[in-house]
Amino acid sequence: MAIKYTFQGLLIYMAMAAFLSAFLATVAGRRKAGQWLFMAGFCASLLAYVYRWIDVRHVPLQNLFEVFLCLGMVCYPISVVGRRVLRIGGQWADMLIAAIVLFPAGFKFHAEPQHLPPALQSWLFVPHVGVYTLSYIFMAMAAFRAAVHLCTAKRAAVVDAILPPEQATYTLIAIGFPLLTLGLILGSIWGKRAWGDYWGWDPKELWSLASWLVYVGYFHWRHMFGTQYARINSLWAIAGMAAIVITLLWVNLSRLFPGVHSYAT
Amino acid sequence: MVRLKRSILWACLIAIAVLAVLSVYGAFLGADRAQAFFNSVPVVIYWGAFGVLLAAGIAVLRRLSWVPSLLLMHLGCILILAGGMWGSPLGQDLQKRFFGTERIRKGQMPVLEGTAENRVMVADSNDTQELPFSIRLRDFRIEYYEPGDLYIQSRNGRRWKLPAEAGRTQALGENLGTVTIQRAFRNFKMDVSGDERIAYDAPGGLNPALEVMIQKPDGTTARRYVFLHRAGHGNPNDPLVMSYEQSPRDYVSELEVVRDNQVVASKDIEVNHPLHHGGYHFYQHSYGQNQMGEYTILMVVSDAGLNIVYTGYAMLIVGVFWHFWGRRLWPTLRSRQAACAPVGVSGEVPNGTG
Ligand code: HEM
Repeated sequence: MAIKYTFQGLLIYMAMAAFLSAFLATVAGRRKAGQWLFMAGFCASLLAYVYRWIDVRHVPLQNLFEVFLCLGMVCYPISVVGRRVLRIGGQWADMLIAAIVLFPAGFKFHAEPQHLPPALQSWLFVPHVGVYTLSYIFMAMAAFRAAVHLCTAKRAAVVDAILPPEQATYTLIAIGFPLLTLGLILGSIWGKRAWGDYWGWDPKELWSLASWLVYVGYFHWRHMFGTQYARINSLWAIAGMAAIVITLLWVNLSRLFPGVHSYAT
Repeated sequence: MVRLKRSILWACLIAIAVLAVLSVYGAFLGADRAQAFFNSVPVVIYWGAFGVLLAAGIAVLRRLSWVPSLLLMHLGCILILAGGMWGSPLGQDLQKRFFGTERIRKGQMPVLEGTAENRVMVADSNDTQELPFSIRLRDFRIEYYEPGDLYIQSRNGRRWKLPAEAGRTQALGENLGTVTIQRAFRNFKMDVSGDERIAYDAPGGLNPALEVMIQKPDGTTARRYVFLHRAGHGNPNDPLVMSYEQSPRDYVSELEVVRDNQVVASKDIEVNHPLHHGGYHFYQHSYGQNQMGEYTILMVVSDAGLNIVYTGYAMLIVGVFWHFWGRRLWPTLRSRQAACAPVGVSGEVPNGTG
């Protein structure tokens, strides 16, 4: 736990405060205020991201600090797409997710700029990590709806304009899954160019494959049973998110799995 | 028929779950042991069964062959499996036995600067095999990020970093004083005459160093020289430890492919930019120096099965985006534009939707 006494840190804390207030305002029924605060948080996080970009002079997706900063920034746009295009409700969850993912960037990871090592100097670097970042937020939003579904399955009020949580989960996963697949494949192609193998059996690769397979399993399960066992559908979605969190964090933070991705700490 | 379809679907679900569990298990093994595990006979049988299951699914479940997006992604998976098995150690062994193809799957190749080499030390064995052509190393070099960094560490573990440029100053707090970089040398030399020592930058050669002035809190000053990538022999009572580091930006090997004494291809390879020739990729892997001079170590990898895998990737990607974005997101966006009102995405149960 380390507080960042820098301009960069200030922007991150402002964004977190705005996201949290947006969440509180929304659950307190002040939806309009919540929306404004959500947008304000987005502006602060966008500023923090652009500031970082100028500071390090490459797209800031190199280490976990930068990835989490990016995760916090993309929550708002994805939430807007979810609401306007996909009829997904429950925006309070997206505000909470934005605050949560900014937490490690603000308090946990070091922000000291590093030189880009040769292995990361590839045109595949930005698409690979960027696409993963987007898909992770879709999956996180899906997992929240799944949790809501599990908690409220019996008494969910059906509002016409928005999808009920179980279907919202499915829709979010359906949109996030192609991005997840693309991230996996771009990583594989990059591995081939940088290290000689398109698949190296590295722990991080294997965890990302496992996460992807959980969603493949989810689709097939839902194809076979539909909403007959709706709660199990939601459990799949939560299991997928758990696997993603492990892929993203545990492999880097714990020294359990040494591998080529260790530089990404 | 319905029972057959149901069984295939169940088998598919189980196959996917088993693979997820195996992947997690493999993550605990570490890359090398995981590779051996996923190439072991029982797991290879599993890979084969998975492929057969996918093919059976396409043959029996009508929607898989009728809906192009579904067909693309499931066929893509078959190709990825097939390509992976074709290029795997077992696949290459079988090809050698049945078709007599003699291919190096993977190995390392040290090449001395100015010489040509065609021998490859084969991975996981003590064998050396020869390529039908040679690789000549014209030059090997390491490029660094300029200007490098001066790291300062106090005895109680505090660390500072400042760019290794003349004029940079760092205040270290009340007890330690201030550090200033006075000069940066490219090729440090020192003349000693009597008590006097004169440091200067000599032309040619390479011996980067920094001249650092430490202004102590009691008003006295001390001068130090810090050399690139060499830990100083600091006095253990000294309150500060300094080092001068540059991080590598690139490792570059200038290569030529030689067949029958003729140069047929050439490329400067770096990490992320391998050379592709004659069915092999050549990677910048490592480097070193011995009494004969500098050498590079290339990694040589056969590209067997790679095109099949990449075709599979392309099909999988096109299929997945078509299925989920093309058929869901795109119509929604279009109808929104037309009607300016939210219209449903098919979030309903996909049984029979299409
Ligand atoms: C092991 C053999 C497999 C069989 C027999 C199989 C069979 C099926 C079937 C019958 C469907 C439903 C199609 C429909 O909407 O009517 C389906 C959907 C799908 N399959 Fe597979 N599959 C297999 C493996 C895989 C694998 C390895 C992947 C990985 C990409 C995969 C990805 C998908 C996806 C993404 C869907 C779409 C689900 C949806 O629209 O909600 N399948 N599969």
